[in-house]
Amino acid sequence: MKRGPAAVEFHRVVKRYGDVTAVDDVSFTIAPGELVTLLGPSGCGKTTTLRLIAGLEMATTGSISIGGLDVTRRSAAERNVSMVFQSYALFPHMSVVENVAYGPSVQGVRKARAREMAMEKIALVGLEGLEQRAPSELSGGQQQRVAVARALVLEPEVLLFDEPLSNLDAKLRRRVREEIRELQLSLGLTVAYVTHDQEEALAVSDRIIVMSNARVAQIGAPRELYEAPVSCFVADFVGAANLIPAEVDKADGELASVRIGPCHLKLAHRGIGPGKAYVAIRPYRVSIGPPCCGNGELEGHVSKVAYVGDHLEYGVRISVPAVELIAIVPEPMQAFAKGAKVAVKINPTSAVLVPADQA
Amino acid sequence: MLPHRSGTAVLIAAFVTILIVSALPVRAGGSLVMYCGVQEEWCRAVSTAFERETGISVAMTRKSAGEVYAQVKAEAANPRGDIWWGGTGDPHQQAANEGLTIEYKPANLNELYDWAQRQWQEARGRTIGIYSGALGFGYNEKLLKARGLPEPKCWADLINPAYKDEIQVADPNSSGTAYNLLATIVQIMGEEKGFAFLKALHKNVNQYTKAGAAPAQAVNLGETTIGITFMHDMIAAAQDNPDIKTVAPCEGTGYEIGSMSLIKGAHNLENAKKFYDWALTPAAQELAAQNKSYQTPSNKNTPLPKLGVDLSKTKLIDYDFAKYGSSEVRNALLKRWTDEVKNQPR
Amino acid sequence: MNRTPRVLAATGLLAYIALPWYTIENPSLTSYPFGDEGTALGLAIMGTWWLLPLALPLLLCLCIALRNRPDESCAEWLAVLGFVGFAYLLAQGFAVGLHGWNAEWLNALFGAPGPKQQGMGFGALVVGVALLFLGCRGLAGMGWCRGDTFIVSSIGAVGMLLALFVFYPVATILTSAFTDDKGQMAIAPFVEKITDSSIWGLKCLGNGVACGVAWNTIVLAVLTAFASTTLGLAFALIALRTKFRFKAPLRVMTVLPIITPPFVIGLALILMFGRSGAVSGILFRTFGVVPTRWIYGLTGIFIAQVLAFAPIAFLVLVGVVQGLSPALEEAAQTLRAKRLTIFRTVTWPLLRPGLASAFLLCLIESMADFGNPLVLGGNFEVLSTKIFFAVVGAATDQSRAAALSIVLLLLTLIGFAVQQLWLGKKSFTTLSGKGDPGLLMPLPTSIRLACYAVAVPWLVFTFAVYAIIFIGSFVKAVGRDYTPTLASYEIAFRVEHTSFGWFFSGSAWPSFFATVEIALLAAPLTAAIGLLTAYLLTRPDFHGRRALDFAAMLSFAIPGTVVGVSYILAFNVPPIEITGGALILVVCFVFRNMPVGMRAGTAALAQIDKSLDEASLTLGARSLTTFARVVLPLLRPALTASLIYAFVRAMTAVSAVIFLVSAQYNMATTYIIGRVDAGEYGVAIAYSAALIVLMLVVILLIESLVGERRLGRRPAMSNVAAAPT
Repeated sequence: MKRGPAAVEFHRVVKRYGDVTAVDDVSFTIAPGELVTLLGPSGCGKTTTLRLIAGLEMATTGSISIGGLDVTRRSAAERNVSMVFQSYALFPHMSVVENVAYGPSVQGVRKARAREMAMEKIALVGLEGLEQRAPSELSGGQQQRVAVARALVLEPEVLLFDEPLSNLDAKLRRRVREEIRELQLSLGLTVAYVTHDQEEALAVSDRIIVMSNARVAQIGAPRELYEAPVSCFVADFVGAANLIPAEVDKADGELASVRIGPCHLKLAHRGIGPGKAYVAIRPYRVSIGPPCCGNGELEGHVSKVAYVGDHLEYGVRISVPAVELIAIVPEPMQAFAKGAKVAVKINPTSAVLVPADQA
Repeated sequence: MLPHRSGTAVLIAAFVTILIVSALPVRAGGSLVMYCGVQEEWCRAVSTAFERETGISVAMTRKSAGEVYAQVKAEAANPRGDIWWGGTGDPHQQAANEGLTIEYKPANLNELYDWAQRQWQEARGRTIGIYSGALGFGYNEKLLKARGLPEPKCWADLINPAYKDEIQVADPNSSGTAYNLLATIVQIMGEEKGFAFLKALHKNVNQYTKAGAAPAQAVNLGETTIGITFMHDMIAAAQDNPDIKTVAPCEGTGYEIGSMSLIKGAHNLENAKKFYDWALTPAAQELAAQNKSYQTPSNKNTPLPKLGVDLSKTKLIDYDFAKYGSSEVRNALLKRWTDEVKNQPR
Repeated sequence: MNRTPRVLAATGLLAYIALPWYTIENPSLTSYPFGDEGTALGLAIMGTWWLLPLALPLLLCLCIALRNRPDESCAEWLAVLGFVGFAYLLAQGFAVGLHGWNAEWLNALFGAPGPKQQGMGFGALVVGVALLFLGCRGLAGMGWCRGDTFIVSSIGAVGMLLALFVFYPVATILTSAFTDDKGQMAIAPFVEKITDSSIWGLKCLGNGVACGVAWNTIVLAVLTAFASTTLGLAFALIALRTKFRFKAPLRVMTVLPIITPPFVIGLALILMFGRSGAVSGILFRTFGVVPTRWIYGLTGIFIAQVLAFAPIAFLVLVGVVQGLSPALEEAAQTLRAKRLTIFRTVTWPLLRPGLASAFLLCLIESMADFGNPLVLGGNFEVLSTKIFFAVVGAATDQSRAAALSIVLLLLTLIGFAVQQLWLGKKSFTTLSGKGDPGLLMPLPTSIRLACYAVAVPWLVFTFAVYAIIFIGSFVKAVGRDYTPTLASYEIAFRVEHTSFGWFFSGSAWPSFFATVEIALLAAPLTAAIGLLTAYLLTRPDFHGRRALDFAAMLSFAIPGTVVGVSYILAFNVPPIEITGGALILVVCFVFRNMPVGMRAGTAALAQIDKSLDEASLTLGARSLTTFARVVLPLLRPALTASLIYAFVRAMTAVSAVIFLVSAQYNMATTYIIGRVDAGEYGVAIAYSAALIVLMLVVILLIESLVGERRLGRRPAMSNVAAAPT
């Protein structure tokens, strides 16, 4: 009965609903004991992917294996996977303990033993004393814990979270996500976690799978995604980025010479050949100053200024190439008024070259 | 993980069990299925008496003669009934002609009156008379007087326009009684004159009922003033309501031979034969009068009911059962009646 | 993993080898296993060669299941073998009939008369079920419906049942209408029959000839629908927008028609207004009004139907009036409109779709009604009674009945389609999830008075109708002799103590016991299939869902008389030969009343979060467990509603069952109709009164057992309405 956390493997999985392709040729692996986040905007196929793991949807083609066993055609009940739902999906006609004991009891575990198992998990999520309550008598955070306890009680090979924090308020969200991460690390669970919140994803994940338009856009550790996005979409979705059209002239060795309007830069080429490309730069890495030397600078004027507490947010309209950049500047620095002429300096260490085709 | 795997098995088991349980009652609960064509009370008395005597349980349905005929015909491919007991002879005759019933020679055939034996011979043994009754009409004297209407004595009186909406009779399409009337009128007056009479009568009829005896009850309840039925039905109603007067029409009248037939392909043929023999004994035929049915029984040894009509004193026509019981004549008459009488304005 | 197919294949094979294949009349085992009571194997050996191929799919499936290697190609084989086997089972059943080949082309191909066989029995049933479920198991293994065997099997079972008991009879009636006596295809006679002047004749406009039945039916339906809707609206406005003090009777009134056998109202009208009726008698004695037979015919049926259907319109319109947002009227008020103006310009237009819905509903009900025209019709014929007489009359003509049925079916389906399609989408209901503040505006005085003027006399009338049934059952003869007596009850419900114990010698007992038995069998089955279908329609996503929905609703829209006729045509002959017993009645009730349970279930399921089921699934519970432990407990109110409805409908239905009753299984309603026809009103009303009381008791009982009191208000039932009779 007892099995440890298991790996999840997707091999060229496609899911179609009639003409609509919800998941398109997706392959990835989740290692045992790893927390992997599925990140993407709504409608990108991340929840469908999660439901494919759970067995709540059946792949149209491709194969899915859990713990090395092909489960592509197995129903949800035949997979050793548990899920925490966005709405928690607590059974309203059962008490907390009945909810948590539901899993073992439908598996044919004796009632007393099932209850014992349930109480253990209820204690784990810190809800002792509330076990006789009805779900409707609990707060949102407590309901969420019940859902987690219920998912954990069968000690599944894989635990799935479908936007578990979306019904909680901002402050609670932070705490709960930390708790989930702690729990995952301490129990060594394999977790797949769906969210559309990139900050949440960066905070809890071992690795992140970014999805866009039913496909995988990039898979990698949080830092990798943030610092070396493979596409404009990833660059923009994982922490906002300014995307500046650029021209790669030639690549030699590690570096490529890149032309952005009037300036020339040497950037790591990351396999991008000569031709059109983009340079991604994070807003707080954009340094602006009064125009001075001309070379290596992009000229423009301030189109927007917004005061956001501890920093200023500028909109800068560059003339060549025609693009509007966002710059976030800590406040004590020099301030520009709307309309002021400024120059943007691009530091090669803070800019990343991104291929143009997926813009 | 084993227990919940059997979920589907449980589902299937439940499904099959439900089907089996609900299918069980299909097997014939009684071992004789009887279609009964007379009054409910009599039907029940006969079936219980037979049950008591033989231990064979009887499943009885009461329907009017036309309906039984229709059912027997509809079920011909796969008969449900075993014996068809009672009801006017014509549909029995018709069923015999169409081969829906089978021939059987009862043990006590020669104890029966001539008319019963003759009918048996004409039907080549496929149906036999169990009682006989003459057609007539009855009226509610109180209602008649209240409306200042004359007392009808003859068939011809009934087409008096004064009786508009005062006469009730059954629909020959569903009732053997009413077909008997149709045939009687045609035999007394000839087909053309007969239909002219029926058309005139049509203007006075307030409703064509489904069952032949229903007009008697309607007279009893006062829903209609005059009802055309077999006289014994009217006499039965008169037991309940002394205002009812029964009339034997002056022109003479037709009569029915209430019959009995064995249904072809009966599943309980042996029991049906037992019933057949039993139903012709005086003991069985006495049940009629005991249950307010005053027909003349077919066994000579059965005492005549005190209240009944003495057929020997009633002016009876020479009813041609063979002709008017045949499908062609019957269907033609019914079609003509439906087209020229029933579907016409009143 | 492979346990289920193994069990299925083994069961099927066992049934093939050991269970009698055909129906058996009197089990005696003398001809087992090679004669009439033979098993499939036994018969196949003895020369019933066409049963032999059935062994093949069963054997192969067993082999596959025993291999115990669950992969996809296994599942594909199971699916193919299961469904091919099942199709073959049906095909041979339909091809080989009681008297040889069933189709001309088979005669031509293989020579007449060909082999013969009887209706399928237990053996065939078990083999069929096993093959069907094996096929479904295969499809599940291929990943259909998320690989959920329970769901696929349920879809297979429900789909099969609907096909057999809804589509097949309808198809039979269509073919029967298109064929002549010799079984040849015949279009011309059909056209002739369907355009017959007795159906569509319009001569009545000129002289006194009776109009075509179709016109009679339509005229009656329109009149009834109009009056019922008007009354329903008046009642609804009074109930919700006035301070009327007698709202309790209004609510009771909504329950009464559900528990009243449909013709009882007609019967009560005869007792009141018949020539010797109670009211007629009083009028005659006090005012010298000579009693006539005016109640028999259009007027009488019209009154009876309005009494029966106004509460249905009321139920629909209460929902609509409740749905009107007071804010709209308040908005109009702030624009300085007068009350009457607001009613005319805001309230009334918002009510209109609801009114149309109620109107169409009553229209359909009226067209399908059979009991009242039968009792009160006199010489006024409508389609439903005409169909009945075409079947039971001496001039029995099934193809004519079929043609008439098609006319009636078309009329009701048109009404139904308009109601579902046009009004189903167009809704002005302003009810939102948010609390709607504001006070309901009282009615303008003129409208209020109009409502009272219409509704109060009617209310009194309704209670008079029920009073006469109860009082009438305790007197000697209504209208003639008011001596109190229990004679009617004694005739119907006499119980004697004999030396053998209690003996139920009352004339009503056989039909009473049969009715209760059948209603008790049908109610849980109806509720189960209804709710299961609701679950299938709302939860899993599969192809053919719409077809399933359509089939279920079709069985609801078909008038009872048509169902009755089609069932006799379809099920009196092999392969499915179930007439003449309890089964046909149970089946008929289940499929006629199931859509209501289904609607109630669908509405309730829509409010239950799908992720509850999914949570249960991911916790390792199969769909069946999920259904039993999560869904069903949450569906309790819907379960109660459909149980009550199914039971009550089974007790009160007339139209379909009058064709299907048999010697052993006569139903209470058909027995009462027989009494009415024979003029024995005393017994008829005593029996009716007893039925009404019994059903009230049962409703209360079921409610206390299953929980939640919902007397009168039937969720979701009001929009599909009480079924056509």
